Amino acid sequence: MRLFKKIGNTLHILSFPGEEVEKGEYLLIRDEKAGKAMIAQVIDIEFANVPGVMEELLRSPDVEDSIRGEDDDPLDVMSHILYIQDARLLICKIHGTIVNGELKQENSWLPSRTHSIISRLPTESLVKLADIEGELPIKLGETQDSFPLVIDASQLDGRLNIITGKKGTGKSHLSKLLVLGLVDHGATVVILDLNGEYTNLGYSREGTENEYHDKIHVLSPGDNFKVTLYQTNLYVIMRTLIYALGLPGTSAREFRHIWRFLEKRGKLTLHELGEAIQNWKCNQHVKDALYSRYSALVNSGFFTDNMAEATDFERLLCKTERKGGVIVIDLSNTSPADRQMVVEYVLAKLQEALSQWKIRAVFLFAEEAHLYLKETYWDDIVTRMRHFGLFTTFVTNQPNTIHENIYRQADNIFLLNFVNEHDLQIISRAARADAETITSIVRDLPPHHCLLLGKIVKDFPIVVKIRPLDVKTMGQTRFFFTEEKIKNRIHG
Amino acid sequence: MDTIKGRLFQLDEMEFLNSFVEITPDKNLINVRGQALTPLLTPLKPIRDGTPITGIDVSSIKIGATEVGAVYAVRGAVVLNVNGKYRYLRFGPFPFHLTRENIPRIFNEMSKELAFSSSFLSQIEPQRHLCNLLERWLQEYISHLAEGNIILWDGSLTSGIPGSPVAELSRILKAARENSNVVMALSKETTLRFLEWRITNLIAKHDPPCLFEIDSLPLSTPNYTRFLGRIYVAKLARGGCSFRLDVDKAISREDTIIAVEKLLGNELVYQGYPETLRLAHIYSTFTASDVIGIQRFLVKEYGLRLVARSNMHRTLFGPYGVRLGD
Repeated sequence: MRLFKKIGNTLHILSFPGEEVEKGEYLLIRDEKAGKAMIAQVIDIEFANVPGVMEELLRSPDVEDSIRGEDDDPLDVMSHILYIQDARLLICKIHGTIVNGELKQENSWLPSRTHSIISRLPTESLVKLADIEGELPIKLGETQDSFPLVIDASQLDGRLNIITGKKGTGKSHLSKLLVLGLVDHGATVVILDLNGEYTNLGYSREGTENEYHDKIHVLSPGDNFKVTLYQTNLYVIMRTLIYALGLPGTSAREFRHIWRFLEKRGKLTLHELGEAIQNWKCNQHVKDALYSRYSALVNSGFFTDNMAEATDFERLLCKTERKGGVIVIDLSNTSPADRQMVVEYVLAKLQEALSQWKIRAVFLFAEEAHLYLKETYWDDIVTRMRHFGLFTTFVTNQPNTIHENIYRQADNIFLLNFVNEHDLQIISRAARADAETITSIVRDLPPHHCLLLGKIVKDFPIVVKIRPLDVKTMGQTRFFFTEEKIKNRIHG
Repeated sequence: MDTIKGRLFQLDEMEFLNSFVEITPDKNLINVRGQALTPLLTPLKPIRDGTPITGIDVSSIKIGATEVGAVYAVRGAVVLNVNGKYRYLRFGPFPFHLTRENIPRIFNEMSKELAFSSSFLSQIEPQRHLCNLLERWLQEYISHLAEGNIILWDGSLTSGIPGSPVAELSRILKAARENSNVVMALSKETTLRFLEWRITNLIAKHDPPCLFEIDSLPLSTPNYTRFLGRIYVAKLARGGCSFRLDVDKAISREDTIIAVEKLLGNELVYQGYPETLRLAHIYSTFTASDVIGIQRFLVKEYGLRLVARSNMHRTLFGPYGVRLGD
């Protein structure tokens, strides 16, 4: 390989047949005289602009009907000609410099064109140089050069993360891997599970209980996840009514009076709340507004007056925190309106428990959060709730549903394949890497391959093939045309 | 090439560009004189009988210069068309390091090796000489190897001019005839003129395919020049160009016409030019990437050290001393 050109932080390197390098791999450009080595990542591979190649291709016959023939080339000069024609131009981004064995962010120098030696930088060396592995390992998978990549769980701690990629590329799989990795280190994880994909985290592929079984708590709203009004304090219910059920300000004020009235009398039940609204002396419109919201609360099945069937979410959180575990909020059978209600309750309870130091910190995994999270919550989660100890990972296949400021503030981004230009443009807004690197590498990622960006990889973008997980899958799409049906139709 | 090891090797950009202008063997600088012209125009009817067509072409190029000489490369191509199926055989590229000292020795050795008499040596420039040697060798080789073929050469059947001695050319044509081959040579460009008209323009208004025999025209030629072919202007396809066509003179006029009709019937004629010969030209010609590849071969195999050629005009006058395009 030979250094050809440098434009800004982009290097152009010529590579020849036999020096195959893949997109995403790292190169080391050693300049012995300067006593330094530059680290650069290959973000694109093009054919070298060899003069006359187009002329050659244009005038040569098509490959299919190519004229057969032989070359009598005793000096084997043709191999050199073909070697030149197959030369490639590697477009690389500079990521740092090694001086005296230490990694430095010194990118302003220029290695020599004539005597620099360019070689592949194995991921193993990069990981050691950048100190990526850390103390709390989570095995992610294998890199392009078959190195088992391990990330440090502490780099997810206190961070904002995004997992995104188009459908079927393995987002949920990666998300599960991270969840279980965090649990391995005793973390408390809450998952807002839109499609019920995480409900079988406690089971192996064969359906038997796995090592995590006792640490996975699946809560299905209206089923094994119900709450009483006593457990739901005024702050939580007000957020639910205002944000989830859209209660107007005047009506909200009246509701507050009714709530306090019932609370004083120790009659904070659904039944009493209904009676109180009907008998409350107020404007009929306000009364109607309150009653319609009350009906929504009752019909959701999420609220109950029966203490025996109610879930003490706060207690469950504290219990989970002791040994580490996962609380999966299964939203798959919940209507969109009820979904918002449940999420409001869960987030309010989390905030309450965190702010009162009843629990230390929680990792929240939110799948397709735009379907249940109010506009007002996005910034709240990213900024304020982060300080309380709620560290969110957004998982989505629609990158445009995540606000630009979230991309900019994200500490870690796990990117799976995207080919749509619009999607690529959106994700390239992430502040943790340059747009060129993201769009060029992500476009060609095969399924289950992920480009890691951010603090987990010390800002050295790394492509990794996510390892398989022995967990029963649930997120597969249900098809009408089963294999059996197709066979029957073909064979009559 | 043993004289080249470890030398400085200068890639001349100007030479590099110019060298893509093909060096063909001889071009005939002959005037057609005379006032009374009795041309014979023969319409042609294609005969499709499966006669194989073989085309031969050779190219050479200057690759660079050393302190003591220059490096040239030469490559030849033979393309065979049997019932519309084309196959090729390429020879080379062969690089040569020619210096003032080694030119006689190299050409003598090559002439011996290729069984050409030393009279073949002439005063023509070395690059063209290399081309001629390989071309004549290929022509002789194919003349012995092929049977019942129409063999197409690039150029003419004019002998006695530098690089085209009468004895060698006659020997090759004889060998071809003995194997029932018909040798035809096509000139893309000819300097033959009649009353200041290029002879290829004489049949511009006639319907193709046709032949226009100009053999009987009074040609003014030097004493040492001999035409071993019957000279025609051939217009082989509608919309195509006219070319000078030389056919082995030892073949009767009637057989010559039949041979051209067989060429028409068994060959794809694009723009009035036979595809076999066009392919031979394509396969032998050097592209820029070929040249870079050969330069790489020389550097790798012979340890040459590349040096850039300095542009004295640029050095002295900067942007003010160069012509447009320099």
